[in-house]
Amino acid sequence: MVSSERSIKENIGRALANENLRGALGRFGDTYVESRERAYAGKDFEALREQIAAIKRGAAEKMEELARRFQQAAQERGAHVFRARDAREARDYIKNLALEKGVRKIVKSKSMASEEIHLNEFLHKHGLEAVETDLGEWILQLSGQKPSHMVMPAIHMLRGEVAEVFSRETGRQLSPEIPQLVGVAREQLRRKFLAAGMGISGANIAVAETGTLVIVTNEGNGRLTTTLPPVHVAVVGLEKLVENFAHVQPILEALPRSATAQKITSYVTMITGPTPVAYPDGTVRDKDLHIVLVDNGRTVMQADPVFKEALQCIRCASCLNVCPVFQLVGGHVYGYIYTGGIGTILTAFFNEFKNAAGIQNLCLGCERCKRFCPAKIDIPKLIRELRRRVAEQQGRPAVQRFMLEKVLPNRSLFHRLIKTARLAQKPFQKGPVVRHLPLFLAGLTEGRSLPAIADKPLRERLGAWDGEDAKANPSQNRVGFFAGCLTDFVYPQLGEAACKVLRRMSSEVVFPAQQTCCGVPAMYMGSRETASELARQNIEAFERAGVDHVVTACPTCAHALKHQYLELLGEDPSWRERTRQFAGRVQHFTAFVADRSSDGSGLKLKQGGPSVTYHDSCHMKGCLGLVEEPRRLLGAAGLQLKEMEGSDRCCGFGGSYSMKFPELSRHMLEKKLGAIEAAGADMVALDCPGCLLQISGGLDSRGACCRSAEDLTAEALPYRSGTRLKFLLSG
Amino acid sequence: MDNLDIDGIYANFKEQAELIAARVYRATDPTEAGGLLARIILELQAQKVVAASSRLVDLCLEAAGDCGTTVHRENLRLRAEDADLGITEMDLAIAETGTLVQDSTDPGQRLAATLPAVHVALVRTDRLVPLFGDAIAWLNEKRTRLPGYVSFISGPSRTADIERVLTIGVHGPKQLHVIFVDREGGASGE
Repeated sequence: MVSSERSIKENIGRALANENLRGALGRFGDTYVESRERAYAGKDFEALREQIAAIKRGAAEKMEELARRFQQAAQERGAHVFRARDAREARDYIKNLALEKGVRKIVKSKSMASEEIHLNEFLHKHGLEAVETDLGEWILQLSGQKPSHMVMPAIHMLRGEVAEVFSRETGRQLSPEIPQLVGVAREQLRRKFLAAGMGISGANIAVAETGTLVIVTNEGNGRLTTTLPPVHVAVVGLEKLVENFAHVQPILEALPRSATAQKITSYVTMITGPTPVAYPDGTVRDKDLHIVLVDNGRTVMQADPVFKEALQCIRCASCLNVCPVFQLVGGHVYGYIYTGGIGTILTAFFNEFKNAAGIQNLCLGCERCKRFCPAKIDIPKLIRELRRRVAEQQGRPAVQRFMLEKVLPNRSLFHRLIKTARLAQKPFQKGPVVRHLPLFLAGLTEGRSLPAIADKPLRERLGAWDGEDAKANPSQNRVGFFAGCLTDFVYPQLGEAACKVLRRMSSEVVFPAQQTCCGVPAMYMGSRETASELARQNIEAFERAGVDHVVTACPTCAHALKHQYLELLGEDPSWRERTRQFAGRVQHFTAFVADRSSDGSGLKLKQGGPSVTYHDSCHMKGCLGLVEEPRRLLGAAGLQLKEMEGSDRCCGFGGSYSMKFPELSRHMLEKKLGAIEAAGADMVALDCPGCLLQISGGLDSRGACCRSAEDLTAEALPYRSGTRLKFLLSG
Repeated sequence: MDNLDIDGIYANFKEQAELIAARVYRATDPTEAGGLLARIILELQAQKVVAASSRLVDLCLEAAGDCGTTVHRENLRLRAEDADLGITEMDLAIAETGTLVQDSTDPGQRLAATLPAVHVALVRTDRLVPLFGDAIAWLNEKRTRLPGYVSFISGPSRTADIERVLTIGVHGPKQLHVIFVDREGGASGE
């Protein structure tokens, strides 16, 4: 399946048109976070995932050694172990085994590895009947579909559709009642279990020390698959190996909690070597146990200095469950077996690199998955790296190349272009916003207006400082304000307000003139080179200004400056130390103010104001960990906080994402606007100029009067950007 | 472990297991457990019962007396297919998660616990452990010779594969009854 840019767009359109899918996924996504939280009650998630990451990292490093040890241990217990280099070898082995044993009927319990090697179709071609027995997988098999989720494969289907599929299968007219449908599956598949000559399963963990397979299931089909048929074949990816038996504990504690918010699944099965099989005639003989250890791209992944991290994955799919894009479009848009963020990476290695080329674009960069991953995989980082390699292999469109190679690294050219764009927007501009764009760009303004580029950027308003006299005027507490492009050119008033507060805190505030784009857009376009160049330019600019602190009001910039620059330049010996020093000085404005004003009480803010609801920006909460600080500052300003439902749900901005996938972005925005309205506050406060662009644009196009609340709150918290909702609420 | 401890652990098990739709009982000895067993069989009007033999299972069945059913203990592969109820003894019970653990290398143990619509699990109260990690540690001690098939069972079988709606009873049992027995010895012992 080729996931070209075009077919992805078509798939997105289809998925968004499917209200049922969005409803089911959205409802699940909303409840998942809370029920997962409850399942983890009393557990230290951070400690647990640290442990799992260490175990899996260690196992990945000695994958070959563990494979050999596993093979030996399992063989000592009487199992047959076959090492399959690729999908074809695995399929052939299983087919030949079935033919040799005279098997015609096979039952399968859920196994992603068997999906990955397209086992069913292959067996079918050779006259073998292989029946999926996991309810979701069976539904899909009967309806000729692929799984859309790693744990809940048929999450995209409604009971009515299932009733149709089952009616066709049984020749009976079935009503769309879930217990009845489950009953039909039990009765139909029970016969298959009893008649099967071979059972095929996957495994969630394979223990090298003991040769043990661990299988985690809920429906009981795994137990029947591994109990009734006289031959058992387990298809196991090499990444499932762990060294010691004791290592199963943290994985088994995290997997069900993260996957389905269960403390444990109904069944956990540990199989070490063949066990006896009982035949209907009353005899008992030993089972044939065959374990197929599948490589299929895993050793290539292991040899890769960046992507080896993905081998830590325990396939819980929590990265899908919390992904705002996945919640909207489901798994089929990803076009392959492994879906969502981690699926994009796995697809690149287990399937074909080119298949991942299109789908990696779907990532918004909100970094939410990273917080939830029980194996501590930095999925967004891996996707950025994938993007970089895709660009390297396939080249970039001319415009993008021009932007990355010529414009972004050349600050004065970049800024001149922005000024030119200000003139070009004039015909479509109404007041401070652009409401309509012509032709193919119209999608950008659908359901949202775009802010106009300001007449005078922040750098001109504040009076940029080139830092020449920094050495002559040493300072103990000099703050360098980092604007970022949106604050500099679109929301200069936000930057002015922020600097006003900083000055009131008796800091010396300067605006180093040579500062430029933080580099995030370049990183998201997969250009490490351009991003690194911008990082060096910014570090230099702030070094020259001799600042003690680097403060920015943009959480995305803060994350880049504080964390990602180290990722970019940390390997370069001439920049490592400088980058570390610079990163140590960076703080988001809110954290800086909260730290130095006893959460705002030191600012002696005016009390009593409108009520606010607070939107947690993805990078603010997820990357900087700032959750309580902004709320405490709002409280210090006497603003009454009315929390909205899902305050940390992404607004759908994602930088250029809202331009690449405007339909997706708009759906996310609508959900956010609904939550804001329902909170019933006078205005919404937030800490990110990107979210401000998206949310105020959405409120504006809903006919509400939107304006920045800087002037309203200047006396209290002058930096705070807010959007008035009064008009919206009253009419 | 003194009684206070075991009562607390039992209470915890009961709470956790009931959250996942298991039914939990406690009996002082096999005689009382047999009574509970008889009540379950009668209430469900089970016609055909299969049992994977063990000392505790045999004692309880004996105490249950004749409930008007046939109890099969041999060739469970054939008998369990259409049995209404299966009885097995479990080796450990984990309070933290409401889980039962069993060395199920003997296929009869699995057939009686998977094929019938109802599974009655008997377990000695002193086999309760507080934490999931305790069960892993118990197995880890045996790691040089692990049982061929170890089952962890938590509640009846379940699915949420259609529209995320939780449905109890898929391929495995639709009901799980857990009877704790404080003293296995019955009249003769302890």
